[in-house]
Amino acid sequence: MKFYVCIKQVPDVNAPLQIKEGELIQDANRNILNAYDASAVEEALVLKEAHGGEIEVVLIGPDKASETIRKALAMGADSGSHILTEGSEEFDSFSYAKILAEFFKDKEYQYIFCGKQSQDTDSGLTGSMLAEFLDLPYATNAVGLQLEGENLIVKRQGDTGQEMIELPAPSLVTCSNDMNDPRIPSLKGIMQSKRKPVNTIAVSDLKNGLTNGSIKTSVVGYEEKPKREPGKKYEGEPDEIAKEVAQLLDSAENVI
Amino acid sequence: MDEKFDCIIVGAGVAGLAAAMTLARNNMKFLLIEKGEFPGSKNVSGGVLWGSDLAKLVPNYWEEDAGWDRFINHRRLTFMDDQSTFSVDFKSSHFNQTPYTGVVVLRSKFDRWLAEKVEEAIAESDYAMDSFIATNILVEEVLMEDGKAVGIRTGEEKFYADSVIIAEGVNNLLTRQVGLQDSYVPADHMLTGIKEIIRFDQNVLEDRFQLNGRSGMSNEFVGFATDGVEGGGFLYTNKDTLSLGLVLGLKDLREKGKKPYDILNTFKKHPVISDMIQGGEVVEYSAHIVSSGDKRVMPKKLHTHGLVVCGEAANLLMNAGKAIQGMDYAMRSGILAAETIVENKKTDDFSESAMKKYQNRLDDSYVMKDINNFQDAVHLLHDPVMTQKIPNLICDFGRNFFSIKNEPTKKAREMMSDSIKEHASYWELLKLGVKGGKAL
Amino acid sequence: MSNLLTYISVNDGKIKRSSLEVLSRCNEIAEKNGKTSSAIVISDDCSTIVENLKSYGPSVIYTIEDPIFKNHLNTPLLKALTLAMSEINPDVMAFASTEGSKDILGALAANRNAAALADVSEFDWTGDAVTAKRPVMASKIISSVETKGSPVILTVRSGSYDTVEKSGESKVQSIPFTFDKNELKLTLKEIISATGDKVDLSEAETVIAAGRGVKDEEGRKLIDELAAVLNAGIGASRALTESGDYDPSLQIGQTGKVVSPQLYIAVGISGAIQHVAGMANSKVIVAINKDPDAPIFEIADYGLVGDLYKILPPFIDELKKIKG
Ligand SMILES: Cc1cc2nc3c(=O)[nH]c(=O)nc-3n(C[C@H](O)[C@H](O)[C@H](O)COP(=O)(O)OP(=O)(O)OC[C@H]3O[C@@H](n4cnc5c(N)ncnc54)[C@H](O)[C@@H]3O)c2cc1C
Ligand SMILES: Cc1cc2nc3c(=O)[nH]c(=O)nc-3n(C[C@H](O)[C@H](O)[C@H](O)COP(=O)(O)OP(=O)(O)OC[C@H]3O[C@@H](n4cnc5c(N)ncnc54)[C@H](O)[C@@H]3O)c2cc1C
Ligand SMILES: Nc1ncnc2c1ncn2[C@@H]1O[C@H](COP(=O)(O)O)[C@@H](O)[C@H]1O
Repeated sequence: MKFYVCIKQVPDVNAPLQIKEGELIQDANRNILNAYDASAVEEALVLKEAHGGEIEVVLIGPDKASETIRKALAMGADSGSHILTEGSEEFDSFSYAKILAEFFKDKEYQYIFCGKQSQDTDSGLTGSMLAEFLDLPYATNAVGLQLEGENLIVKRQGDTGQEMIELPAPSLVTCSNDMNDPRIPSLKGIMQSKRKPVNTIAVSDLKNGLTNGSIKTSVVGYEEKPKREPGKKYEGEPDEIAKEVAQLLDSAENVI
Repeated sequence: MDEKFDCIIVGAGVAGLAAAMTLARNNMKFLLIEKGEFPGSKNVSGGVLWGSDLAKLVPNYWEEDAGWDRFINHRRLTFMDDQSTFSVDFKSSHFNQTPYTGVVVLRSKFDRWLAEKVEEAIAESDYAMDSFIATNILVEEVLMEDGKAVGIRTGEEKFYADSVIIAEGVNNLLTRQVGLQDSYVPADHMLTGIKEIIRFDQNVLEDRFQLNGRSGMSNEFVGFATDGVEGGGFLYTNKDTLSLGLVLGLKDLREKGKKPYDILNTFKKHPVISDMIQGGEVVEYSAHIVSSGDKRVMPKKLHTHGLVVCGEAANLLMNAGKAIQGMDYAMRSGILAAETIVENKKTDDFSESAMKKYQNRLDDSYVMKDINNFQDAVHLLHDPVMTQKIPNLICDFGRNFFSIKNEPTKKAREMMSDSIKEHASYWELLKLGVKGGKAL
Repeated sequence: MSNLLTYISVNDGKIKRSSLEVLSRCNEIAEKNGKTSSAIVISDDCSTIVENLKSYGPSVIYTIEDPIFKNHLNTPLLKALTLAMSEINPDVMAFASTEGSKDILGALAANRNAAALADVSEFDWTGDAVTAKRPVMASKIISSVETKGSPVILTVRSGSYDTVEKSGESKVQSIPFTFDKNELKLTLKEIISATGDKVDLSEAETVIAAGRGVKDEEGRKLIDELAAVLNAGIGASRALTESGDYDPSLQIGQTGKVVSPQLYIAVGISGAIQHVAGMANSKVIVAINKDPDAPIFEIADYGLVGDLYKILPPFIDELKKIKG
């Protein structure tokens, strides 16, 4: 059984950010494994531990992103493919999915796992785009996964409830971080990760699928979200402050 | 994987990274373990890295845009009362030459960058595949066998090495675990450092502080800054932010019932400081313990069989008024620790006496020489007269001296003596003068 | 030719308010630029929906009706939308941002070779490119985006626009559709309905959100009581959906739902950026937390510092009094 997990390196949204001349600048240049992808890796590991198989992670990104591949390998993935970008291109989900589709064209696999969205852009597009390009059955926003034979039983989070869906292999699933707590690599894991094979592929070798029109959306600027003015803090006797605020919600805000 | 390392380093702060770089350059097989998510993630402080050891570790680092923020060519020591400041100010193009003698760094950036440089050095070494920097791992124990350090334990996992370098920083639990320091260190010798990072438009910052290219300023404060609590204040110019903060004696804080954050806020409202930080936006706040640099709290020994302690884990720090020196001591001691281990590896001797060579190297270096020579100055700085009376007196004098009124002006000497009468006794000053003279 | 097409999301036979917000915005853009704005309903039973939709005046109401649409399943929905887009040929296809639309957005865009924008908080179209704003970096930053080519498919955050009724004749046109069970590449095994009550969080005027500070049955009872007094929807932070205390569909934040009610009361929630990402656009924010330094207070209009177990009972009592 072969699991592929598509992982992305994203800027750490917890690090201080600023906008300089329309560019988004992250002071410390801190990048991490997309949290949703970490959950996807974790899920593959759990399934592999129970049912056997092999896990390969795939990442499109610059040279520096190899540390993110190592992170996934340290968690326990078996190997990695690094689709190396030169750093000048600005890909969107559509073009990432096209490149990935080209990568997967001649691969054999039962399962492709993606994160449900990128933590930085919250797009949530690449997974189902890839499924469509590869003509795979898919489920998004998975919060639970099981294997029955080769079929995946996916619990996905819908608007009001959850749906249990059965997918025949090969299939694609996008994972929510609500499905597990990704393991923190052990020291042994970190040490082993250095010796695991990582195959580097130039993105230009996979650009077959990319046409002129493949980059369909572009960011033209950033602005800081207008800050909310912090309001008033009420400290003191619970009875009194509770009363006071309740009355203000009525008289001053008219929201009750 | 039961392989054995030449060395395991605990802590990827300045000391641990300097040790690691030295080991990598000398083709040693080692493991550097950091509990933070990445090197620097736990190191909120930052400040000025004094001296030129960085150039030894990363030659021509100044050609890189990364890691460091500015070099210092402008220094200022400011005495303050509640309304005024009186500064000694020194700026010189002397300091514009490389290797710089002081660079401002933000640790979350600097440590990470230095770690990348260490990774590069590992990749070029004979142990490219066998030496590691591992983050997000907490070392829980140094493994001791017959009084000899043989490795470390993290969770259920044990790893073995010929030698261990403890570079765990001021909260030195492992140093205590192996018995080099008493498990209880009284709070009188500890300070708390608090700091804000305040962001500006880079041009505004450069104009305001007369910065040119990558030149920068460091400013220390004595007096009103700490609201009567032992300690001092500091301000450093980073690329487009200011680091503004205080170091405050823990015991004194407790006795006076004051909160660091409140003191910082009062400091920021001082008319002179508020002019400096006007228009900036606080983007980070952090607090960290820092040792006082008092020799009395240093571990009894900095080595034992198979093990050495460096950086602030060994209490190597000095704050004698003109600057906080912790990172440069950490860096040098890390280098010396690693050099000792490289040498010992040649004879495969990691015995107590072989490890003692680290202590000797350290004693011969400027680190211990300065710490020994300036102990009195350290104590002087903790004298309440120094944190309150002197700054008040100096500011009072300054106010008189620089005021021009339409009435007869007193001679400076008279003004001085008026100020002294108001703020301190001659006797106190005399005592301090004698102490100070000896100390410096 | 139809230029803008809005997909009408339906929940329990009722039109979701968020899709009317989108339709209203499309109507506005169409009017401004001399384009047309239409709507499409895909359901197992379209008739009442179509009737209700008429007061929002789309030029054409397209319908695709089939029993398969009783439950959400991506394969048939995707087929229906692909068909609709090829027949109607819209330049802009707009959805309310729901788990249902997010499920097919990427695949539909891939199929139609379309530009896709998820979760926009503002958008405009002049006949050329679509320009839009999207919150990014856990909603700390707003990015301005632009599309190339046509068509463009987008989803819009709930609460981004007001609903505006509009008079005018709506033509109704049904699109013939068949779906063979064999085309269904996947099977729906079971639907686990939310246990919480049915107030749709994204439409609620008032939301009470519980966090880790709400530790036990007693705490949850207080939340229920408060919600009952204010006729509010109940949401939760990840801490409590993860622990199983609240249904996962009630999670508010980056992973969960985005809400923008008139009143948001955060009870025992620290205010992690990933949570705030889902509620920062609420009109009035009240926070109850015993930690005076909790980040939630940085965005709260009314910050009550104290133990929720001590504050909620008198708070509820007072509200009851006010409510009469
Ligand atoms: C507010 C403030 C301002 C300062 N300003 C200056 C200044 O301007 N100039 C200056 O030179 N010095 C300054 N200092 C002092 C300086 O920061 C320290 O002396 C210096 O960081 C010490 O370096 P170190 O490598 O020994 O320890 P640290 O930098 O503290 O590094 C220790 C590392 O070990 C890790 N660690 C600890 N225990 C374990 C474990 N068990 N397992 C794994 N990892 C572990 C920690 O996470 C940490 O990363 C300042 C300090 C403060 C608090
Ligand atoms: C990629 C990613 C996505 C995420 N998405 C989401 C999301 O969609 N939604 C979400 O909520 N989180 C999300 N999180 C998790 C988020 O980071 C926080 O961990 C989570 O929001 C914390 O929930 P909390 O505030 O309830 O718990 P805590 O952070 O534990 O806070 C509990 C608070 O309750 C207070 N408290 C305790 N007892 C009392 C009492 N008796 N009275 C009053 N106050 C009390 C405490 O002071 C504390 O501030 C995400 C995280 C990641 C990495
Ligand atoms: N550069 C990339 N390399 C590998 N996988 C990616 C990349 N970009 C997106 N993905 C996958 O697509 C998911 C997110 O899609 P999106 O939110 O559209 O960016 C991620 O969680 C990954 O699984």
